[in-house]
Amino acid sequence: MKEFNSLDDILDFAINEEQMAADFYTDLAAKMQNQEMKEIFEQYALEEIGHRPKLEAIKKGKQYKVAEDKIVDLKIGDYLIDVDAEKTNITYQEALILAMKKEKAAFKLYNDLATITTDMASKKVFLMLAQEEAKHKLRFEIEYDNNILTEN
Amino acid sequence: MERSEEYIKNERKKEWRVELQKKTKAKDRMSIERVHMTERAPEDRIKSQRIEVNKGLTAEEAMVEATRCMDCVNPTCMEGCPVSINIPKFIKNIERGDFLQAASVLKETSALPAVCGRVCPQEIQCEQRCFYVEKLHQPAVAIGYLERFAADFERESGKISVPQLAESNGIKIAVIGSGPSGLSFAGDMVKLGYDVTVFEALHEIGGVLKYGIPEFRLPNAVVDVEINNLRRMGVKFITNFIVGQTESLDDLKKEGFKAFYVGSGAGLPRFMNIPGENSNGILSSNEYLTRVNLMGADAEDSDTPVLRGKNIVVVGGGNTAMDSVRTAKRLGAEKAMIVYRRSEEEMPARIEEVHHAKQEGIEFSTLTNPIEYIADENGRVKQVRVQKMKLGEPDASGRRRPIPIEGFEYIIDATVVVVAVGVSPNPLIPNSVEGLDVSRWGTIEVVKDKMQSSIPEVFAGGDIVRGGATVILAMGDGRKAAANMNIYLKEKYLSQKVEN
Repeated sequence: MKEFNSLDDILDFAINEEQMAADFYTDLAAKMQNQEMKEIFEQYALEEIGHRPKLEAIKKGKQYKVAEDKIVDLKIGDYLIDVDAEKTNITYQEALILAMKKEKAAFKLYNDLATITTDMASKKVFLMLAQEEAKHKLRFEIEYDNNILTEN
Repeated sequence: MERSEEYIKNERKKEWRVELQKKTKAKDRMSIERVHMTERAPEDRIKSQRIEVNKGLTAEEAMVEATRCMDCVNPTCMEGCPVSINIPKFIKNIERGDFLQAASVLKETSALPAVCGRVCPQEIQCEQRCFYVEKLHQPAVAIGYLERFAADFERESGKISVPQLAESNGIKIAVIGSGPSGLSFAGDMVKLGYDVTVFEALHEIGGVLKYGIPEFRLPNAVVDVEINNLRRMGVKFITNFIVGQTESLDDLKKEGFKAFYVGSGAGLPRFMNIPGENSNGILSSNEYLTRVNLMGADAEDSDTPVLRGKNIVVVGGGNTAMDSVRTAKRLGAEKAMIVYRRSEEEMPARIEEVHHAKQEGIEFSTLTNPIEYIADENGRVKQVRVQKMKLGEPDASGRRRPIPIEGFEYIIDATVVVVAVGVSPNPLIPNSVEGLDVSRWGTIEVVKDKMQSSIPEVFAGGDIVRGGATVILAMGDGRKAAANMNIYLKEKYLSQKVEN
């Protein structure tokens, strides 16, 4: 398991995770047969890259806080079967499932790290990161709820 | 057809209209109660898929209801009609007893009045904009019932009129799909003098009107009369012809077709992607309803039967879910249940359909979400694991979204499951025509209100553009497309500049 020796370590890890997520979507975009789906995955990649500046600002000393209100978890992705990311003809519904599951996994990672760490400053950073991922997941869940589950 | 405000006003000032306006005082009109639609008893109607629920109005009932209409100076009801029917004019014709003329007014702008009178959600369109609702907060004039009455009267009289047609201009137009949007478009284009051919993939004309809507809501015979009307106007129909497979758009161009209207609908079923969904005995509402409505699988001796069972679970809360669950009841299900993840208030189905379903003994399990299907040793579904939901606090958009109640899961027995959670556009045309702009949803992108796609001679409307909408909105698209394609073609082929 990865060891974190400082808050900067944690933030570097998170920045790297965002970059890896962006790369994942960029690779998917390159594989898609449908132009619109290519653009969607490129947009997801941009969104992931867009999360970096916030983390970099915190690394440079910007203040942050962990909101007391829990981010709503619609748990839509929790019950859905995994999408085969090797496919070249992913539908928009499948793209959203992929994204929801990816954000959920990231949320779980930071939440677990927050649970096991004893250092309060590190715990706070992990909780903040978990909250960010929960927000990203909610954004995809709402899109899924509004557009895919229209009659359910 | 002239539809200007001035035309509407002048029509209202015609002698017969003025006489009617004077004949009954406003307060007497307002004192009449809205008519009730007579229905067949639930225990009788569930014996067959082919027994229509609503009986329609008698002539006397229709004339009294028509008297309620105030013949407003500013008929806001018309603003609520996607095909701009001259509502006061047809209703006042009913009031004076000229039912055939009323039907003729409907056909000025609607290719399918008997269909719309049955399946349009008038309560959220024309009737919602009625004077009674907007100003008096009372029940609207029953515009839908009256529309059905006039159209049925004409059909049953045998004196079916054909709208006036312009002289033929010889320009060949292809319509892809014979659903409500394509039929509406075809009707308007043939009136304008075009040589219109409708290509249909299935063996029957009518699209979703035939394969999707059960006969207890919309008898096929009613649809057929409207289609025959279009035939009499000169529209040609070719069945068993899949544009994109049988022949491509380019092939049709070589055969002389100058422009195309794509109304190929949303026939691609959507599933939930939950574990066990591939088990036997789980089918889409598209398949279930098509087998029954189009292939006659409700008959015991059908060559193409459909799965039947004691416990039928239908997932979803739209009109298609109601159609499926009520069909299941008619096919002998002891227990037919709707499972829907939001509350009843949020069901997209028409209130009337939910009401009829309840009358027929359909069970409703709302705020309940299927999360897994459990199959027996033969891979056949036997149970549905569901998660109980609650509505969360309103979010930024003001919407209360369903949230799982932690630890509240249970099992429902099911011999057949019908998944009715929505549909996606038919992918064939969007995927096979190069240069056609398509959205992330698989819908064809068009210029709003013109219905023209990224290929100038290709127009599109209905579910292939909207992704899933009502019959009347699809028809409205067909009308808009016809008006705009007419401008395009006249400029291109007839050297006639047309005012937009």
